[in-house]
Amino acid sequence: MVIALSAIAVAAYVAAFRLNRRIGWLLIALGTVWLTLLSPLNALADGYLFSAHMVQHILLLLVVPALALFSLPRSQSLLAGPRWLRRPLLGWFAGVGAMWFWHAPAMCNAAVSSRPVHAVQTVSLLLLGGLFWRQILAPWETERLAPPAAVLYLFSACIACSVLGIIITFSPVTVCSIYAGQSLDPLGLLATIRQGWGFSASRDQQIGGLLMWVPMCLIYLAAILAQIARWFAMASAPTRRAI
Amino acid sequence: MTSILPSSGALFATILKVLSPGSPQARSIFNLGVETSVILAAIFAIVAGIIVYALMRFRWREGEPDPHQTAGNTKIEIVWTVIPCLIVVALFALTARTMASADPPSVGAPDVIVTGHQWWWEVRYPGAGVVTANEIHIPVGRPISVQLRSADVLHEFWVPELARKITAVPGHPNHIWIEADKPGAYLGVCSEFCGTQHAWMHFLVIAESAAEFAAWQQAQLHPALRPAERVAAKGLALFEQTSCVSCHAIKGTAARANVGPDLTHFASRRQLGAGIVDNTPQNLRRWLADPQQVKPGAKMPDFKFTDEQLTQLVAYFETLQ
Amino acid sequence: MNALTAVLNRAGLLTPQQREHWEMAWLSTVDHKRIGILYMVTGLVFFVVGGVEALLIRLQLAGPNNTFLHPDTYNMLFTMHGTTMIFLVAMPVLFGLANYIVPLQIGARDMAFPRLNAFSFWLVPFGGILLHFSFLAGGAPAVGWFAYAPLSEMPYSSQLGVDYWALALLVLGIGSVGTSINLLVTVLSRRAPHMTLRRLPLFTWMIFVNSFLVIVALPVLNAALVMLLADRRLGTHFFLPSGGGSAIMWQHIFWAFGHPEVYIVALPAFGILSEIIPVFSRKPIFGYEFVAGSTVAIAFLSLLVWAHHMFTVGLGHTVDLFFVASSLLIAIPTGVKVLAWSATMVGGRIKLNTPMLFCVAALVQFLVAGLTGVSHAVAALDWQTKNSYFLVAHFHFVFVGLIVFAILGAVHYWFPKFSGRMLSERLGKWTFWLMTIGFNLTFVIQHFLGLAGMPRRVYTYPDLPGWGWMNLLSTVGAFVMGVAALVLVWNLSRSLLRGKPAGDNPWQAWTLEWATTSPPPHENFQTLPPIRSRRPLWDDANPDRPDPVVGAQWKAETHLPEKNQASILAFMVSETGFFGVLILAYLYYNAVPPPGSNAHDLNVLKTGLFSLCLFASSATLWRSEVSERRGRPRALAAWLTATIVLGGIFLVGQGMEYWDLFRRGVSVNSNLFSATFFTLTGFHGLHVCVGLIALLVVLGLRIGRGAKPGHSPALRTVGLYWHFVDAVWVVVFSVVYLRPLIQ
Repeated sequence: MVIALSAIAVAAYVAAFRLNRRIGWLLIALGTVWLTLLSPLNALADGYLFSAHMVQHILLLLVVPALALFSLPRSQSLLAGPRWLRRPLLGWFAGVGAMWFWHAPAMCNAAVSSRPVHAVQTVSLLLLGGLFWRQILAPWETERLAPPAAVLYLFSACIACSVLGIIITFSPVTVCSIYAGQSLDPLGLLATIRQGWGFSASRDQQIGGLLMWVPMCLIYLAAILAQIARWFAMASAPTRRAI
Repeated sequence: MTSILPSSGALFATILKVLSPGSPQARSIFNLGVETSVILAAIFAIVAGIIVYALMRFRWREGEPDPHQTAGNTKIEIVWTVIPCLIVVALFALTARTMASADPPSVGAPDVIVTGHQWWWEVRYPGAGVVTANEIHIPVGRPISVQLRSADVLHEFWVPELARKITAVPGHPNHIWIEADKPGAYLGVCSEFCGTQHAWMHFLVIAESAAEFAAWQQAQLHPALRPAERVAAKGLALFEQTSCVSCHAIKGTAARANVGPDLTHFASRRQLGAGIVDNTPQNLRRWLADPQQVKPGAKMPDFKFTDEQLTQLVAYFETLQ
Repeated sequence: MNALTAVLNRAGLLTPQQREHWEMAWLSTVDHKRIGILYMVTGLVFFVVGGVEALLIRLQLAGPNNTFLHPDTYNMLFTMHGTTMIFLVAMPVLFGLANYIVPLQIGARDMAFPRLNAFSFWLVPFGGILLHFSFLAGGAPAVGWFAYAPLSEMPYSSQLGVDYWALALLVLGIGSVGTSINLLVTVLSRRAPHMTLRRLPLFTWMIFVNSFLVIVALPVLNAALVMLLADRRLGTHFFLPSGGGSAIMWQHIFWAFGHPEVYIVALPAFGILSEIIPVFSRKPIFGYEFVAGSTVAIAFLSLLVWAHHMFTVGLGHTVDLFFVASSLLIAIPTGVKVLAWSATMVGGRIKLNTPMLFCVAALVQFLVAGLTGVSHAVAALDWQTKNSYFLVAHFHFVFVGLIVFAILGAVHYWFPKFSGRMLSERLGKWTFWLMTIGFNLTFVIQHFLGLAGMPRRVYTYPDLPGWGWMNLLSTVGAFVMGVAALVLVWNLSRSLLRGKPAGDNPWQAWTLEWATTSPPPHENFQTLPPIRSRRPLWDDANPDRPDPVVGAQWKAETHLPEKNQASILAFMVSETGFFGVLILAYLYYNAVPPPGSNAHDLNVLKTGLFSLCLFASSATLWRSEVSERRGRPRALAAWLTATIVLGGIFLVGQGMEYWDLFRRGVSVNSNLFSATFFTLTGFHGLHVCVGLIALLVVLGLRIGRGAKPGHSPALRTVGLYWHFVDAVWVVVFSVVYLRPLIQ
């Protein structure tokens, strides 16, 4: 399924833009999708480890869509589509909302226990991530937020996600109960993971929360610094003197 | 010359306790310290070198025009952003390794439960049932699992030569391992501010051979004997009549409270008032005469004992071996 | 008094018409330069207070088993020393510098809100007096500047000291947020033409970033103080384990503020170094972009690392490791800065005047502080050195070695601008050498005391090998610093009267504050030089080799936002921080419903209906804004009235809910649910009240203006605030009322 969709994505890309160098970004994006969905990571996320699920979540929401946007030729405008899709506020809520919505206990459990919900989750993360990042990474300079606004956009999104990360890290109750229970053990690995690797249910949730809190913020920070670099690059490109 | 160096090194080690680790746990922190210091010292030398070089080489002289206006160099700046990144990764790896070796997770029930009080440490050995205060006896060469609790505010348990420090938090038990390679008495302090007498919340970790430790534990299990000697017996009677018993416990008597330290084997301890004075009869007498004089702010009130009563009490407490 | 007037006259700090009433001219001033001076003088006064406290501390520690001070007195002194130095010295002085310099550097006539500026300033002496009044009211706080619970709670500190401390910090925190909003908006909306954001001098840039950090971080402290005061005065148990609360929670909230606070006082110091080092190296800063960008990275990361203050509290290795990583990362942008300053000196023509001496010393000392800081980020080392004198030495290297030295550099650098007179170079060098020797004597040795196992915050210590003489040396050093401070005060007062006239630009510096007279006239500038780069005065003086032009082609850069809206947006950011903490506290303490009453006892339907009124009021307000744009004053007034009525109905609903709970015996101190519920909804209700009053004022103004159409920013500004209050309620309603339904 994933392989077929990847092939379609590559085909569609070539059909739309012909072969060009930027397709490399798309291939990396698809590679990341494979890493997320077709590797042991997915097996661990499937009922064993909340933290593995969180890694998937971050990759699908923040990494893959960004890479996919990189792959678009610089000549490609994203202006197509309804006007409301272009609003920064919508992009912000798409990025932050995807995090909060899928970590409501009910949704989190449903995504693990039901295949269709899981598929919806994966697709929605990719799409919402795309909406979020287009404000920053649209191929056309004019379709992106101005750097100072982009910094605020990213900063506030980071804080909004960190808050959820903080809640998950220090929550005295289980957020995603399905990972804490003993019910799911399709591969018979539970004992190894819990005792052998030392991932107790509470530690697992803590790591999940911390992943959302710290590394995710670092992704935003990297984006913020890239925005500042972009801003200053606008300023003094031609006349910078060497030492 | 050769004789001076080792002795000054030894002096150095007696003063700087953090740098003279006496247990595997403390040693792994010490080793990390050495590795980190080497990295940090190298950075210091390079950067300070640049500054000193600039100060020596590029001084302003009257009449010279302003120098070439260099505004930066992106390549250099990227390089000196990337190099610290690598150093950070290395330090992170070293830290993660040391955290695991210096502070392994607890296994099973603790050997000792240490509870911080304002301003003394209660020490319980749940296995043997021994209860004492401000003195932790451990057998040499064996890691001892310690659980840290607090009865009131935050305290912090720190024996620089033996282990990391860890906070005693009310409602949140913590855990560390302590161990000593060699027999001896190691000074521990409270390192989290806990009120008036934070400064005098010392304790001793006394490491001894397995046999000595077993003997000590055996002795501590005995209840206090009723003194045969007359003055001391009067002291016991006085102890039982006054409100001493509403705070202290002495096994074998009616006193069972645990607000203050357990006094069953009081005379076997080396220090009084959590380290403020040595445990001698003279100091004990001063303490009983007016605890606030010896340790202002201590929770023990002044009972205004007469001289005769003080003699009786001191005589009694000295029997509590 | 006459002597003082004479001094002010002599120093040319009064205009002729002000000579009669100099007190009023200064006390009622709204001029940013005078407010800046007032800030700095206030800081200097408290610096003396905090310094005397420090000397008393060092006297007590001069020898082992010393009984010079009672332990409680000692504990009060170190608490007051820390609080004073951070909140009443470092912050006011840096705010004062920013107040004076920032408008000048951007070519503005004044701050965006001169009266808010005066108000924020006057909160400082008020807060300072409130704090020190505790000495007369039964004893100053003796809980440390961090006031760790439960020691700071009623059962363990029953005197009023902690209450005064918390109230004073609330007052000071509000003032700091006010000033920071003002500075932020000033930089955004008051820049001279062509002074784009990318051409800002680095001091102004760092103050700009710093203001944002203050706006985000200070409200977190305010929320913590509110909870602490509720514990102490209303009998709640937020931080008392005996009632189900959490002592660790206080540490989390306090350090979520406390760590950014370190950078709040460090960033302006970085800014000072970035101004002075280039000028005295006769060369622009090496890599402006990297220095400016790393400032943002530091500000951002500083919000992400607070748990490194808690490596010994037992959060577990998992949490610790993540914070080891994020804390180590801060070293990178900081290192970039240190290297940039060093590289600025390389290839320059270094003039070692007093300001530069202080900055070079600050640079080297900060290098040491940064490196020992890295050793604290390495958690396993922190397990040994934390809470020891090693840590004391580390942060004094930051606070004194960097920040005080940078401030002293700034004072020597900008004093000619403030007063029109030069400071004595000879006395300046005396100050410098005494200060540097004294400082290093005091604090280098403390690293070793820490390694010797001496814990901090102890009023005395036993006579262990080495402890006595090391402490004595440290004390001697402290007194040398005291002498340095006396020389500084002597230099300041002497030069104010008899210093050499400075002229406009004594250092041949390049930023706009040097393009006007010293001291600058009332509205700062007669004319401004052309601004094309980051160093307009360099371009002016060196037409043959000007700086590369920094582009301004980009539209949003020359655009100056409307100041009222910008300020209310900044205020909303700060309010979000405050409510964010209260909401997180609610979620944490109600994750498992506490025994007794809980969220299931609330009447969701009834409150839901009242909430609808509040949400509807946002819609009616929006209609009234539309009416204003279309020039229909009557419709505007009608919609505004509807908004006020709907808001009032919501408040009545809240009141009914409270009454209902009280009747059932649920009050704020019943349990943790009621404590968090009443705090959160109560503060929201308070905000609704404030919003209603503001709306009434707008309505009154509108009616007063009659049918005349016209545009005022007031409605739009208050409107933003009202929408924000409603949005907060959306979150509060979901968290408090709707969450139990899905569980």
